[in-house]
Amino acid sequence: MAAVFAVALVVFMLVNRGSRVHDTVSDADNPAALVGASTDTRIKSFQALVRAHPKDSRGYGLLADAYLQKVRETGDASYYTRAGAVLHTALRLNPRDPAALTGASTLALARHDFRGGLDYAEQARMAAPYVVKPLGDIVDAQVELGRYAEARRTLHLMVDAQPNLASYARVSYWRELHGDLPGAIRAMKLAVSAGGQAAENVAYVQTLLGNLYFTVGRLDDSREAYRTALARFPGYVPASAGLAGVEAAHGRFSIAIRRYRDAVARLPLPQYVVALGETELAAGRRAAARRDLALVGAEEKLLQANGVNTDVDLALFEASHGSPTRAVVLARRAWAQAPSVRSADALGWALTRAGRPAEGLRFGHRALALGSRDPMFLFHAGLSASAAGRAGEARAYLARSVALNRRFSPLYAPRAERALAEIAGGRLQVTG
Amino acid sequence: MRARVLLIAVALFALLAASASAHPLGNFSINHLDRLRVSADRVDVTYILDQAEIPTFQERGLSSDAVLAKKRAEVERGLVLTVNGARVPLAVAGPGQISFPPGQGGLKLTRVVLPLVARVPGPRSVQFHDGTFPGRIGWKAIVAQPGSGTDVHSSVSSGDPTSGLRSYPKSALRSPLDERDATLSVKPGNGSLTAPKGPDQGEATTHNRSGDGFAGVFADAAAGRGVLVFFLLAALAWGAMHALSPGHGKTMVAAYLVGTRGRARHAVALGATVTVTHTMGVFALGVVTLLLSQWILPEQLYPWLNLVSGLMVVVIGAAVLRKRVASSQFPVPSHHHHGHHHHHPADGGRRSADISPKGIIAMGASAGLIPCPSALVVLLAAIAQHQIALGLLLITMFSLGLAATLTGLGLVVVYANRLTSRINMSGRLVAALPAVSALVIVGAGCVLTAHAVPQLV
Repeated sequence: MAAVFAVALVVFMLVNRGSRVHDTVSDADNPAALVGASTDTRIKSFQALVRAHPKDSRGYGLLADAYLQKVRETGDASYYTRAGAVLHTALRLNPRDPAALTGASTLALARHDFRGGLDYAEQARMAAPYVVKPLGDIVDAQVELGRYAEARRTLHLMVDAQPNLASYARVSYWRELHGDLPGAIRAMKLAVSAGGQAAENVAYVQTLLGNLYFTVGRLDDSREAYRTALARFPGYVPASAGLAGVEAAHGRFSIAIRRYRDAVARLPLPQYVVALGETELAAGRRAAARRDLALVGAEEKLLQANGVNTDVDLALFEASHGSPTRAVVLARRAWAQAPSVRSADALGWALTRAGRPAEGLRFGHRALALGSRDPMFLFHAGLSASAAGRAGEARAYLARSVALNRRFSPLYAPRAERALAEIAGGRLQVTG
Repeated sequence: MRARVLLIAVALFALLAASASAHPLGNFSINHLDRLRVSADRVDVTYILDQAEIPTFQERGLSSDAVLAKKRAEVERGLVLTVNGARVPLAVAGPGQISFPPGQGGLKLTRVVLPLVARVPGPRSVQFHDGTFPGRIGWKAIVAQPGSGTDVHSSVSSGDPTSGLRSYPKSALRSPLDERDATLSVKPGNGSLTAPKGPDQGEATTHNRSGDGFAGVFADAAAGRGVLVFFLLAALAWGAMHALSPGHGKTMVAAYLVGTRGRARHAVALGATVTVTHTMGVFALGVVTLLLSQWILPEQLYPWLNLVSGLMVVVIGAAVLRKRVASSQFPVPSHHHHGHHHHHPADGGRRSADISPKGIIAMGASAGLIPCPSALVVLLAAIAQHQIALGLLLITMFSLGLAATLTGLGLVVVYANRLTSRINMSGRLVAALPAVSALVIVGAGCVLTAHAVPQLV
């Protein structure tokens, strides 16, 4: 009550000062005029549009889409809350509004509610069968839920209907998961040259292209891709983190750590914090690493407080740097909700770290079933096989993990090579 | 317009309830606010920082002094003040304050308030840039406040919808502010400020906000087409309803009137005292808060006020009890013997000799003094909006509403007492009632005190 009154008072004061939002509406009434406008401009215009037409669900759909783009650009999660509220209103006004349903789907996927996201996207598809955008969410959901054959069919529909940045990037990811790295690079290049509405979108696919180059060991191309992304979208954290990774692969740990630190200072997402901590471990800075990695634990608490407890990245973190038992719990939940190759990899690694390598290896096989050449998947499967006493299999996996990029990780690539040497030296007892 | 205000408030309530504990701007955010005041010979800046859970966690292990020093260094590095075309150093003008309020997931937040000053004779043009915490997400704002001896024309708003980064607008149709630059042109004058009205309506009309006083309020009321009247009535109604929430002295007032066998005019006097003390209490607390905000956070004051009022109630209860015990040695007053009691023969046999003006005031004061954070929030929000007169008016109406309920309750008790006096009841029970009431007062006081103590440790 107290807060409501205080806020009402403030609102009264603001309203009382006379609002002139209608001045900007003429601009927003015509969304076509906003093509190429910055996300902030679009947000402002759509906010004015919604205030001017509060009963029209379409304005809310546009605004939510701009909010979701803002999160991609800044990592500012408070825009998720805003997008959620706006979408709620839109769907109350019109439960079949295609843009609002698509927004709700994207938001659900962002919260790792893949089934809910799929449901919304399919509703959007039914409400507007010729709109392509929901197909992207359907593909993402199907991939995360491990329904790769279905994802392939949807992807075909999508590319045929609209060969653009969004569809090419998804083709690339699908190929990457299936081990076709040259094909993935070709598709991602197409995505880059297709261009996008927001600068961030292009910077994003350029960063993904950099990641692919990194995976296949083309470090210079990789660095070039990250630099281009940063030139297009200055301060773009995923690209800065990518550059840090390249430095680490060259063994320049101090520069890498400084770059990661900079990325973490701006956007302390668990994946960047883990990369920072692992680079510090590789550089022998154990105390700093322990301190930084503790941040991931704090973030886990916050995620739990917000009802999120199925994150694959957190499971991998717990398996490598925390409690393997907890990692098994997290990964099992992730696997139950979304049986993808990523959750299979996390669960396999967690089981191996928890002292159940035979079981772990079974999930390692599932992670690699599509033909993935992800060095981390291979490294995890290799160590699982090694711990399960299957030296031949272990050697094959570990050799493949370092085959493309001998420095795929500052911490794990040397471990893979050490394990290979141990197997070659016959120090591993082959049992059974 | 009224409907819209209400609608927004209702929506806000729903949103507030939904995310009670999470930081509204995200666990990563670093939010900061500069309050600028340009006077004839100086520029004052108050830098306020509200840092969410994750950046606070990243500084764990540092002492609060070390964190404060770190923030001071960042502020000294990041704030750029240019007066009449030349850069002027901003000096830290006090120790500043730091606190760590609880956040989500058992983590803490960081809150820093840092006063700075630049002494410059005759500022004409002032540019201010806040380059602290570059690239970090959050609410970044600059607000202008009227100084002394100047007429200031500001590019940034004078209104702060966050009340000093304590609460953030929850409307899904507003983005967090990202304001890092301010330009002010200054003329000698009598402390006026012309600034954009709201953060989102920068290009809208400007208005001189100082020296308006009540005239300004009523001008605004005219502009608001009766919204002011609506708000005053709302404040009255809210005060009346608020009095019914637990812990607002209803029980004590009722028990006091029963215990002392008060009459209608006592109930009214009690209500009036409550109005006056509650209004004064909130005003005083507001003033003290503003004065002490240099050193103490207002949240830290509430527990002490709770303790004081709790102890006061215990003492009053004990006093009434003592009188009851003493008077019980006299013959039990019986309702059949009208005129038995000397002072108020027309009183239906009730004796109210032991109600002294002092007792009424003490009781009313203790009921009114119990700090009412909500009322203080309203006052502080009004001050933050430079709508002090309106804030005071709202508080007065609120207190009147509070008093109306308490008086009404008192009257009910008094008349119920008279009614029971006409019905033939067991003399012993009625005689015991005042003593029981006194015990209730003491009990309520003990509960209040007991509630206050844990907040202090």
